[in-house]
Amino acid sequence: MTPPGLDPQRGLVAAQATRRRFLTATGAAAALALTGELAGVRPAEALAPGSLGSAELFTLGVASGDPLPDAVVIWTRLAPEPTSPTGGMPARPVPVQWEVAEDERFRRVVRRGSARAVPESAHTVHVDVQGLRPRRHYWYRFRVGSQLSPVGRTRTAPAPGEAVAELSLAVASCQAIWEGWFTAYADMARRDHDAVLFLGDYIYEFGIDRGVRPDSAAVENTRQTVTLDEYRHRYAQYKLDPDLQAAHAAAPWIVTLDDHEVVDNWADEAHPSAPAAQFLVRRANGFRAYWEHMPLRLAQAPQGPDMQLYRRLRFGSLAEVNVLDTRQYRSDQAMGDGSKPPNPESQDPRRTLTGDRQEQWLLDGMAGSGTTWNVIGQQNALARLDTVAGPDVAVPMDTWDGYEGSRRRVLGGIAERGVDNVVSLGGDLHRSVASDLRLDFSDPSSPVMASEFVGTSIASGLDGQDLDPGGAVLLAENPHIRYCNFQRGYTSCTITPRTWKADYRVVDRVTVPDGEVSTRTTLVVEAGRPGIQES
Amino acid sequence: MTDHDSAVHVPRPLLLGAAGAALCLLALVAGASSPAEARPPRTGVEVTTSASQVTVTDLPCQPGELSVAMTNVSETDRYADLLLSAPEPVELSREVFSSWLPAAEPDQPVTAEVGITVPRGTPSGEHSLELQVDRSRLELPVLVRPAPEKGPGDNLLLGERATASSTHGNFSTCAAVDGDADSAGWERTGWNDGTRGAFPDTFEVALSEPAPVDRVVLTTLDRAANPAERFGISDWDVQLRVDEQWRTVAEVRDSTEGEVTSRFERTTAEAVRVVVHGSNNGDYSRIVELAAYGG
Repeated sequence: MTPPGLDPQRGLVAAQATRRRFLTATGAAAALALTGELAGVRPAEALAPGSLGSAELFTLGVASGDPLPDAVVIWTRLAPEPTSPTGGMPARPVPVQWEVAEDERFRRVVRRGSARAVPESAHTVHVDVQGLRPRRHYWYRFRVGSQLSPVGRTRTAPAPGEAVAELSLAVASCQAIWEGWFTAYADMARRDHDAVLFLGDYIYEFGIDRGVRPDSAAVENTRQTVTLDEYRHRYAQYKLDPDLQAAHAAAPWIVTLDDHEVVDNWADEAHPSAPAAQFLVRRANGFRAYWEHMPLRLAQAPQGPDMQLYRRLRFGSLAEVNVLDTRQYRSDQAMGDGSKPPNPESQDPRRTLTGDRQEQWLLDGMAGSGTTWNVIGQQNALARLDTVAGPDVAVPMDTWDGYEGSRRRVLGGIAERGVDNVVSLGGDLHRSVASDLRLDFSDPSSPVMASEFVGTSIASGLDGQDLDPGGAVLLAENPHIRYCNFQRGYTSCTITPRTWKADYRVVDRVTVPDGEVSTRTTLVVEAGRPGIQES
Repeated sequence: MTDHDSAVHVPRPLLLGAAGAALCLLALVAGASSPAEARPPRTGVEVTTSASQVTVTDLPCQPGELSVAMTNVSETDRYADLLLSAPEPVELSREVFSSWLPAAEPDQPVTAEVGITVPRGTPSGEHSLELQVDRSRLELPVLVRPAPEKGPGDNLLLGERATASSTHGNFSTCAAVDGDADSAGWERTGWNDGTRGAFPDTFEVALSEPAPVDRVVLTTLDRAANPAERFGISDWDVQLRVDEQWRTVAEVRDSTEGEVTSRFERTTAEAVRVVVHGSNNGDYSRIVELAAYGG
């Protein structure tokens, strides 16, 4: 379930909580472990809840994530003034009670505890609730004094060997808040998903001062985020969105990041904005704010500029999701990034998108999963994307196209190890692209090793259109691409032992608050038969 | 796949080390060491600032600037929050500067810029600015001095309130009215819009009070590495706001020059605006300096 050498509960004392015991070890131990990693923590008295006044504390909603058969992370942040640099909180720890129940009205509470929200973590709370039962819904909430948070619903994963008849998984990415309303999330929250996979660009770091929302031009939006306080502010601004909050409250999220959680197109220690030592400070700041605001376990908490983000989540014997990190370990983009013809650098087998360890971990994991479906949750597209019309070829240097050695090793490794039913899920492109992943993209008779559903953006790119000129070129130039769409939305997947069905949910307009969501198309992969089919 | 960077990628140093000028060591903040110790161990965060005091005027687009650096002088990496505060009338561009601080050898200062302003009409006087990390504080004087009078022949836009249709994240809107028209330091002293390939873009400056204007001098990016014929703006209108109405007083088309003066009938205006319709390579609008004169 976890990368080699990593204990998912590192730093956490397993919950000894008994039913109805109000203050369990879980919350307290978790919070202590969090603050214990930070030097300079003052032995400050915890604040009496009453002294916080009556301002609403749970302005950024609640979330849950990384469901296991017996555990799930629940999250919230106390922020009475969410866009102020401190969230409007005093520089003191605040005790936060939490409870998890089997029913929406909290009549059957199964776990309770207390955590500390500390200023060093921007008063965020992460509780790894343990001792839960597999494959069932739970409801959770937090309390400070007499204030109750909104109620979130989550769902544990099936037991490891459990035969699962059906799993529903929503896949999303790229939520440029100034370019559109998060209508897709309202739809996602209404539909019933067992989990949500988010593949990166949760925030954008750069400054803007024009957008479709009334507050787009606020002065703080014109600045790029570099320092930790600035990244925290950006997360608060995004997490204020009610549709995003609804989607978090409806299902557990499994998140990974892409470039904009730090800065556009960074690669390992490299970004043109600063020498490596300075860039790593920015990366550490971006990572820290990311972890603080995501429902992630302590195993994923960054140590400065390093974060163990790639990991696996299993859903019974039906599917195992390999969540990749294609930013932290990659070689710098070939030929200065951009769109280029394939070149000796992009084809250099010594270059890597994932790093050697992660690549090995991915291939070994898929070979040994024992599940029907092997899912690769990655940031962009494994498929080749020739973006120019005519005989010339130009491919993006930031996607797997810029790292042909990595792609060959992953697709070749799938072939060598005989891994069945591999589905790649991606984002970043701001368009939906469904592809057959061939061992050799220049040879249409080369075998299809896997199927790929790249999902469009939630908001990035404004309204878009069904088939834009760029999409038409992709379809014409890349015979392995079976479907393209350039509207905003997300992918709603229904997975059974026999089929993987992907509904591409699209929003007619995101530049107005009341866009309409519909299924643009439904594509299917049959178990045992790699490749995209019309439903 | 996304490209939001300016084509001319010479970003500002974001987390610069020592800011060139000698940093003035103001405090050694050590983790609560006992006064009995002769010399506290290096176990804290050192705060340095680029100056020992800040002088500001009441011009809205000419903030007093202070670089504040935190340096981890301890043995272990840590995160730190630096809190900034100032009593009225002083206003700060940030109240918190938080960062991860590596315990690097040699020391690695992590720097943030703080803009310091006072409201228009603030009388001369001495105020203060307080910095705090952990339990240590230090205070810096903030001196308010009158803005130089703008007499005949002076640039009416210098330091006045500038706004733009958008501003790229690596740039500041005020930088195009900072009195520095030299393209060499454009990344710090110029404005770059934030929407690649989308026109028109607007850049607007409100005068402190209505004043006669008869010429506008626009400097676009023009230096050896980035000549105006490729990186400059090519097509724009110069507009004046008179009685709340914008009127176009000059049009420039197909320009490849670095500096262009537009002359027109002397008009008493409330604000000056440039509407950019295109640039020579079609990506961004770049203005190093905008100036207006009326005498």
